[in-house]
Amino acid sequence: MSAVAAPTAPATPAVGEPGRAVTAHLVRELRRGTLVVAALLALLPPVVVVQYRETVGGELGAGALQVLATNPAIRTLFGPAVALDDPGGFTVWRTGLMTTVLVAVWALLSTVRVTRGEEDAGRWALLRAGTLPARSLLLRVAAVALAAQAVVGAALAAGLLVVGTEPAGALLHGAGTALTGAAFVMLGLACAQVLPDRRSAAGAGGAVLAVAFMARMVADGSEPFGWLRWLSPFGVLGQVRPYAADDPVPLLVLAGMALLPAVLAFVAVERRDVGAGLVRVPDERAPRTALLGSSTGFAVRRGARGWAAWTAGVAAYYLLVGLLTVSLTGFLGDNPQFASAAAEAGFTGMGSAEGYLAAVFALLAVPGGLFAASRIAADAADESAGRHVLLLSLPVSRRAQLAGHAAVLALGCTLLAALAGTAAWAGARIAGSGLGVAAGVGGALNTVPVMLVSLGAAVLAFGVLPRAVLAVGAVPAAGGFLLLVFSDTFGWPPAVRALSPYAHVAAVPVEAHDGAGAVGLLIVALLLTAAGVAAHGRRDVRA
Amino acid sequence: MPTIDPALPAVEAEGLSKRYGRTLAVDRLDLRIEPGEVFGFLGPNGAGKSTTLRMLLGLARPTAGRARVFGDPAEDVRAAHRHLAHVPADVALWPNLTGAEALELLANLGPGTDLGYRDELVERFDLRLDKPCRAYSTGNRQKVALVAAFATRAPLLVLDEPTSGLDPLMGREFQRCVVEAAARGQAVLLSSHVLAEVEAVCDRVGILRAGRLVQVAGLAELRRLRRHEFHLSFAGPVPAGLAAVPGVADVEVLGEGRVVLTLAGEPAPLLRAVAGDDVVQLSVREPSLEEIFLGYYGEAAR
Repeated sequence: MSAVAAPTAPATPAVGEPGRAVTAHLVRELRRGTLVVAALLALLPPVVVVQYRETVGGELGAGALQVLATNPAIRTLFGPAVALDDPGGFTVWRTGLMTTVLVAVWALLSTVRVTRGEEDAGRWALLRAGTLPARSLLLRVAAVALAAQAVVGAALAAGLLVVGTEPAGALLHGAGTALTGAAFVMLGLACAQVLPDRRSAAGAGGAVLAVAFMARMVADGSEPFGWLRWLSPFGVLGQVRPYAADDPVPLLVLAGMALLPAVLAFVAVERRDVGAGLVRVPDERAPRTALLGSSTGFAVRRGARGWAAWTAGVAAYYLLVGLLTVSLTGFLGDNPQFASAAAEAGFTGMGSAEGYLAAVFALLAVPGGLFAASRIAADAADESAGRHVLLLSLPVSRRAQLAGHAAVLALGCTLLAALAGTAAWAGARIAGSGLGVAAGVGGALNTVPVMLVSLGAAVLAFGVLPRAVLAVGAVPAAGGFLLLVFSDTFGWPPAVRALSPYAHVAAVPVEAHDGAGAVGLLIVALLLTAAGVAAHGRRDVRA
Repeated sequence: MPTIDPALPAVEAEGLSKRYGRTLAVDRLDLRIEPGEVFGFLGPNGAGKSTTLRMLLGLARPTAGRARVFGDPAEDVRAAHRHLAHVPADVALWPNLTGAEALELLANLGPGTDLGYRDELVERFDLRLDKPCRAYSTGNRQKVALVAAFATRAPLLVLDEPTSGLDPLMGREFQRCVVEAAARGQAVLLSSHVLAEVEAVCDRVGILRAGRLVQVAGLAELRRLRRHEFHLSFAGPVPAGLAAVPGVADVEVLGEGRVVLTLAGEPAPLLRAVAGDDVVQLSVREPSLEEIFLGYYGEAAR
């Protein structure tokens, strides 16, 4: 047999640049989220600056601003108010905590997604099969994710510079926000190495984030616990005091906070198998057959753990709020100047426990609505991963399955609110307040219709735009909250304000329950849900 | 399980079409599968097999035409799915359920399950049930879905490439299960690429190409069409007259003493014809059913 002729011109072997290829891949994975967050941070604070110059600055006198600055109730919600007479300072106070939490959540979840999420999906093994060792892979994830934080921080600073605020304050605020993001990137990196799957990694990171958030709240609301702020990136960030002290030293503390989980991540990555974490889960167990008898029961089972986690976090927050109520409102009662100033800035009735709780309960619909939307988003993820095909081959209609799940989530939101209200009441009682249980639970339940509008929006998105369930579902609860805050702060037209579902909820327990508003919201929620269920039954199943 | 009119076909599709944008994935497909029949569904990748099955299952809505399962419209899944069990091509299970829990859920919601037979199937497929599904390999996930489907008494089993992740031993067990299902009177719609599997279990075979059902044939006709592809290399030139050997067709000289040809029937005449030449290499390949069909009906593979 004649030998096969050797090729006369041997093909040039592809020059391996695995590192560059992996970096490019990671950039593609994180690009879109980075651009969205950067755009929000570049646009939102400058809007506040401009609006401040037009309205707030002229109307709020120096005395009123001083009251706001020293008011611990306000501080628990928005952080220390240190330079309210400056457009930049006011903007940092009013939006800083919100934008920082946004960046932190995004940094944490996107880092977990590109590491543990990719590993869960089996794609990480492909990267590991290449020539790059685990540590260099992780290093590249860290580098790309940190660069994304830098982009976001730069966008924030650039927006503030463009509208003409003090350069030092703008740069420090941008740097602080980026470093906070960096700390949560590293936290996500560590959780992804230590824990065995995406859900537990994101859950553990989220728990740390929630504790950090609450530590900041306690530190700002209660001076004896002021030292707690040095344990929380959110608290440390507040100490930079942009546009007032302009202190760069806390930035070093933030960088140090990022270092600890980074070390943990890089140690852990060498000590585990691909697909496993440092923490091992038992790979065998006896069957647990509860809630496997119906599609609705199964929806309860799928969501139970997530619900418990969200509820635990929310209830802990409201327990703290309850505990702080008495010391805060005692201070408020002694400040006659405060009521009018606070009202002008969008807070009413902050002089009593009921008023403070009503303001804080309005926040409850944000996590409640996000919880409901995230569960419908999990449904959409299950569908695109093909995990629904077996369920959908059973004699249960798609409409019945989705409607059942929506009903379960509506109940879940109501229970979450009831437990949050109970926690707030219990905290207030422990601290010696005379707050009634009906006021606590009622104030919390009052926000449920807003959560249900978010649930309805998520269901509608699942029916017509299944790739954007979480984003659309977040619009009523999170977007509506922002819309209300800005409308109240800057006196936007009532028609604009009325677009927010929060505009139709009374400040219970300080005000009477708005029955008509609640019914209206429930009708909107029901219509959205019904439209989504109908559309879902009509469209093709993905994957 | 509801009683079924024996005169109703297990599957009946009339003018079934599905369009995705400009692509016509399935084009006016007519198909009838009788109760108790094992029907093999073949076609190259992208021919529209899965799309057809998804329309039969009500997971995708036909652009035109209609499909019925034992007389019930496919889109009315509450009625139609009481008659069927399904194994998807790529089985994805809930990562936090164990195999036992997944089987329990599917049995509770499904069209009725023979629990005794299910236990037997778990043994036969050598399935470990106490592991969470995230720890299962592709083959084990497929086994869970197969056990769940075969354990039902649904009169129609819709199986989409169900053995792609199984080892040959389990592939044989699968064939036994199909034969048992047919013996019980269950109809089976089997989408597959494995010739031996289709030959072993199917009564009829249909082939789909570019969205159109190009042929439906019985197994006897299938056997008649069966050919082997011979690759021969000679030390000298390719001997003349190979095309005249009984059963030999499609002789193609590849140059340098190499030839490829197809052979239907006994190999003895061909072997005698080349015995006098210096054969340095001989390989025989069994063409896939699709190649047989496409070759026979003069359709170039896409």
